[in-house]
Amino acid sequence: MTPTYYLLLSALLFSIGAVGVLVRRNAIVVFMCIELMLNAVNLTLVTFSRINGKLDGQVMAFFVMVVAAAEVVVGLAIIMSIFRTRRSASVDDSNLLKY
Amino acid sequence: MNTAPVVPAVTTSPSASFLLWLLLLVPLLGGIAVAFLRDAKTAKLAALGIALLEFVLVIPTWIAYDPAGSRIQLSSSMDWIPNFGVHLALGVDGISLVMIALIGLLMPIVIGSSWADKLPEGRSVGGFYALLLVMQAGMIGVFAATDVFLFYVFFEAVLVPMYFLIGRFGGPRRQYAAVKFFLYSLLGGLIMLGSVIGLYVVSGDKLGSGTLDWATLTTVISQESQATQTWLFLGFFVAFAIKAPLVPLHTWLPDAAAEAPVGVGVLLVGILDKIGTYGFLRYCLPMFPAASKDLAPLVLVLGVAGLLYGALLATGQNDMKRFVAYTSIAHFGFIAVGIFAFSSQSVSGAVLYMFNHGLSTGMLFLVVGMVIARGGSTLISDYGGMAKLTPLLGGLFLVAGLAGLSLPGTNSFVSEFLVLIGAYPSRPVFAILATIGMILAALYVLWAYQRIMHGPVRGDALLGALKGPGAVAAPETATRQGIKDLDAREIAVLTPLVVLIIVLGFYPAPILDVIGPSVEATLHSVIPLGGN
Amino acid sequence: MLATVLTAQPVPPADKLSAPAIDYGAIMPVLIVLGAACVGVLVEAFLPKHQRWPVQVVLSLATLAGAGIAMAVYLGDESTPKNGVITLAGTLAVDRPALFLWGTLLVLTLGALLLIADRSVEPGGAFVAEAAIRPGTIQDRAQVAGTGMQTEVFPLTLFALGGMMVFTSANDLLTMFIALEVLSLPLYLMCGLARRRRLLSQEAAVKYFLLGAFASAFFLYGLALLYGYAGSVKLADISNAAAGTDRSDALLFGGLGLLVVGLLFKASVGPFHTWTPDVYQGAPTPITAFMAACTKVAAFGGMLRVLQVGFESTSWEWRGVLWGVAIVSMVIGAVLGLTQTDVKRMIAYSSIAHAGFLLIGSIALTDQGLSGTLFYLLTYGFTTLAAFGVISLVRNADGEATHLSQWAGLAKRSPVTAAVFTFILLALAGIPLTSGFVGKFVIFSAALQDGMAPLVVIALIASAVAAFFYLRVIVLMYFSEPAADGPSVTVPGAFTTASITLGVIATLVLGVLPAFALDWAGSGTFAFQ
Repeated sequence: MTPTYYLLLSALLFSIGAVGVLVRRNAIVVFMCIELMLNAVNLTLVTFSRINGKLDGQVMAFFVMVVAAAEVVVGLAIIMSIFRTRRSASVDDSNLLKY
Repeated sequence: MNTAPVVPAVTTSPSASFLLWLLLLVPLLGGIAVAFLRDAKTAKLAALGIALLEFVLVIPTWIAYDPAGSRIQLSSSMDWIPNFGVHLALGVDGISLVMIALIGLLMPIVIGSSWADKLPEGRSVGGFYALLLVMQAGMIGVFAATDVFLFYVFFEAVLVPMYFLIGRFGGPRRQYAAVKFFLYSLLGGLIMLGSVIGLYVVSGDKLGSGTLDWATLTTVISQESQATQTWLFLGFFVAFAIKAPLVPLHTWLPDAAAEAPVGVGVLLVGILDKIGTYGFLRYCLPMFPAASKDLAPLVLVLGVAGLLYGALLATGQNDMKRFVAYTSIAHFGFIAVGIFAFSSQSVSGAVLYMFNHGLSTGMLFLVVGMVIARGGSTLISDYGGMAKLTPLLGGLFLVAGLAGLSLPGTNSFVSEFLVLIGAYPSRPVFAILATIGMILAALYVLWAYQRIMHGPVRGDALLGALKGPGAVAAPETATRQGIKDLDAREIAVLTPLVVLIIVLGFYPAPILDVIGPSVEATLHSVIPLGGN
Repeated sequence: MLATVLTAQPVPPADKLSAPAIDYGAIMPVLIVLGAACVGVLVEAFLPKHQRWPVQVVLSLATLAGAGIAMAVYLGDESTPKNGVITLAGTLAVDRPALFLWGTLLVLTLGALLLIADRSVEPGGAFVAEAAIRPGTIQDRAQVAGTGMQTEVFPLTLFALGGMMVFTSANDLLTMFIALEVLSLPLYLMCGLARRRRLLSQEAAVKYFLLGAFASAFFLYGLALLYGYAGSVKLADISNAAAGTDRSDALLFGGLGLLVVGLLFKASVGPFHTWTPDVYQGAPTPITAFMAACTKVAAFGGMLRVLQVGFESTSWEWRGVLWGVAIVSMVIGAVLGLTQTDVKRMIAYSSIAHAGFLLIGSIALTDQGLSGTLFYLLTYGFTTLAAFGVISLVRNADGEATHLSQWAGLAKRSPVTAAVFTFILLALAGIPLTSGFVGKFVIFSAALQDGMAPLVVIALIASAVAAFFYLRVIVLMYFSEPAADGPSVTVPGAFTTASITLGVIATLVLGVLPAFALDWAGSGTFAFQ
């Protein structure tokens, strides 16, 4: 199986994630979509690593995972804090800040 | 090309160049000091003292300037921002010297005339006079700068004190007027900034490293291609046309002048607007001769349009301050025609007009201010027959008005005459149209004078101000305690202007001698291209 | 470590891995900042609550001083190479622009830190006592009145600063990505820590976080595509690959596009600006000041390096797009700024317009463009820092009074504050004798030199439009009568005074005597290796 399919798959995952961020309303789901995007990038990196015959792409995937974990910590904390107040994680309810 | 004497563009004469620095720094530092004076009387006296000192300083500067000498004199220069070749460079030629003299002359008069002004509640007197003095410093900087960057800095910096003077101390619609004034000027200034940067870049391409020195730029840029010159010219031209103001970029002036306090209005129409016409002479013509020549018809059309339009609107005005503003727009049209007719008489006439207009319109504005101070209304229809109550004020109104309509024997006549005879050979159509403007001037001045001063005493403002039994029924015989004629301060303020208006009407030579060589040098850059 | 692996490429099977050489002198400022941030976390863990604030303040200020001294020592050293060093196995480039940006970041952070540490304007500072307190509860009302403060803000600030410093000197995209996250994550948190108006603050944090993470995912995907294109994420390798191959341009420009979107988002360039007004308004004002000044410096520093080092050879392909982006940003900033009624939002839109100007400088790929943009970043940082410093002073019973109508007649209540804010607004409008004017001059002249005359004209017109909303505030402050129940101006304590003074004096000095800073900004170019 050619590595190109992996690239296409990762592009597809990335797009699904990006569309999810734009259309979903629940902050947790939006956040998961972002995680999906990051993991799609991981797949891309590993695939290119394979295509180029170098290992550094795989190492970069580890870095991305670490960063994603840190992002989860911060992100969930922020979403939790607003959820505890509003009893809702919908981004539509966050509407105090506008013109 | 070879007719004009070859003189070095700039000579440094350190002996007297400190005078310009003094002229710049005295009002600047004085203004800052006045801002901190709490007591109103002290602040006024200090401001007047500084303005008089400034006037005294103008005298040695005038003497030190040698009309037969080099183009730019009393010059000095020091590095400011070497990265852009920007210098703190001051110097004067005849034209800027005359304008500086006008500033020095008008400033004590403005302060004297503002002496009894009631400022809006809660505004500090010290602040008002401080802003006036700082603006004076800025205006002197505009005329004395010989570095384009420095000129631009002063050009923009003047806006700030003027903005606050109108916005804080002006009439009922002052906010609107101040913001309109500022935005118009800032827009012009930013467009000019584009051209200033363009000059820097073009000179950088030519010389290896960019410069903003005026003398260097005049030699470098004037050799550029027509297209380059035109673009750069337009940037400067728009800024100056807003400042001058030429129709159709004039709409800020009536608002600003109407809302400004009288003294500030005098500075506005008397000096600040001259920056525009001065800019044509100092920057547009020498730096972009090809573009100036090319676009001269456009400017002439705008000038004549302003001349007629200003005159017509002045005729129809009911607000006295707006009336003065529109007469001013008409006069600036005249000046623009004089400059862009490119003959030595017309340009000399235009420069002389710049000076004379400061005197005559300045005086008209002051007199109008005195009328308003008595009646409390700015509308012409609120007055009538005032000369019966205040004969002296009526007489001086007439003098100022006649100077405004260029009656022979007043200073403006000489300048208008020079513009017309200079413009006629090359631009007969425009000269004839300008003559129509002169006729209209007689109409609007005399009509306004007649409505305000002649006839039976009438009008809400006058009748309302008259007190005593039977005042309204028989105003002519009523006690005049409501409306007094000019007091000593007002006479002292107006006397120098009257004297100068008449003296320069008969003997303009001192000024013409000073500006002559500079005008020739300015024209020299355009005429070789067949401008005349 | 990544560094080790990158040097070892392509991996020969039996080769021993050797540790890369590290120029400790060059990276000492970053090490000090990040080290002190870790110490700050330990302080939080081990010191009792009442001792934390003084210790953290002293620690943070000492850190900035130490990093500044380390940088000065490094710069003063005769053996320091003029054109920069690349260290840590090619991941960090400590060259003149990087050092300039580091210095800028350190000084601006000093100003922001003084605002953060201030407890005079609001008793206990602008930060919530415990981030976990729910808004609207009894505990929340108690903490508003109390003087407790979440002192984690200080180490978080230092972490963010460390991230920014690495970001501006990152020589490969992965380092850049890590630095981007290191600088962003603390900012997300700090946005949510306002003492008052907790809901707004938390909402700002959520928005900033979600959109920020979204943008960094784009950045990352761009990185992956460029890795696929060039087989390396080093900027120089990408540049070489783009210059000398016939590989698929789709990967190159797709990667660049996604990468730049991530950067433009951080720099709050329109149309990627949507988070900016909300976050600027909701975040605690000292954090807004920190974000507005320092994040912009870091983001444009990174963008300059990416564009100039990595993509100069293909500039004619992408420059048109960034032209458009710059125009959009200036127009959005200037036009939408007109409609704002909140001072913080107004400054946010002004920052979007300024980001457009900065982008003009960044895409003029010349030495003048580089030095001009660096200088502009320096001037803009100081001015905006002082602006938010002043905004934090105008308060009523509910905290800051940011609605414009509340600023009416401020000059009467507090002439000095009004005068200082007027000066700042004139600087933002670019009136001569302020640093904003010199900044505009350098950027526009660089752009004109690089043949971008139409862009300069649009920028000048945008400046004129933007001037209108600055003027509107001046009109309100000076020409309007104060409202009866208007806000009062707090007399600031030493910290805030120092911070505002720093910003104002820098704005004035850089406007009147800019030569020395221009020399620094133009003292060298990016290292290419």
